[in-house]
Amino acid sequence: MAFQIILNFVLAFVWMFLSSNYTAAGFIIGFLLGIILLMMMRRFFTSRLYIYRIWAIIKLTLLFFKELVLANVQVLRVVLKPELDMQPAFFAYPTVLKQDWEITLLSSLITLTPGTVVVHVSDDAKTLYIHAIDISDVDEAIAAIHDSFEKAILEVSKS
Amino acid sequence: MKTNDVIIQFTAKIVFFIIFFFSIHIFLAGHYTPGGGFVGGLLTSSAIVLLIITFDINTVRHILPINYTYFTAGGLLLALATAAFPMFVGKPFFTHFFDYFDLPLLGKQSLHTAMLFDTGVYLVVVGVTMTIIQTIGEDE
Repeated sequence: MAFQIILNFVLAFVWMFLSSNYTAAGFIIGFLLGIILLMMMRRFFTSRLYIYRIWAIIKLTLLFFKELVLANVQVLRVVLKPELDMQPAFFAYPTVLKQDWEITLLSSLITLTPGTVVVHVSDDAKTLYIHAIDISDVDEAIAAIHDSFEKAILEVSKS
Repeated sequence: MKTNDVIIQFTAKIVFFIIFFFSIHIFLAGHYTPGGGFVGGLLTSSAIVLLIITFDINTVRHILPINYTYFTAGGLLLALATAAFPMFVGKPFFTHFFDYFDLPLLGKQSLHTAMLFDTGVYLVVVGVTMTIIQTIGEDE
């Protein structure tokens, strides 16, 4: 991934030197041509084309904003309800993520969406302990997190 | 009781650089906008303190093998030299000089000897803060 980005920059600079056009416009033209070249030569790389990964990052960001709005509305409904019938709970969430940045990102996303807070990461980093403000079905919540955030993060880190 | 601090450790590694950059920005912005040597030094110390809180004092000492008393001494010497220099050219103590220079990349900038004095303040603040925190932290 990093190698491909550096290669793309080098190709853009080569284009600037070839066309003697040392402006931002020349750089952008060279960069776009470099992307086309990388696409043509994508079979030579061992990992995915880095554009897919950037697309996955954008999708993850959009997903996060969507979840943020939805979860805020949910918490608002819990707060404004006349009767207190919410069911707070702690539950353990088994995660398949391995690297530090993935676990940190997942925990931050779970914490930033209201209603759920990550309170602890187990010592072997395989389980997240989460507190939820209003939860009726634990398995459903685990499945929801797994299908949305964890899948999107795996999509980003896939080589 | 060893807990898994993966979240704070990863976050601190990234946030450290942001705080450090911001401290340099504040330090350089002292002449025309709020900021200066004191605030910049405190921000730099707070970035290192974040690392000390996240890891531990010996790890950070291994990563940054700095004797902070030298920082304090060097900062005081620099401030004193900046203040005393005008006496050798027949001006009163603490006279500052400034001029406009054409720097590469930055264009026309005004350089002021108050900046050197501010660097002295910055070094003293970093040195004193870190000395205090390391001394208290190592107290058994």
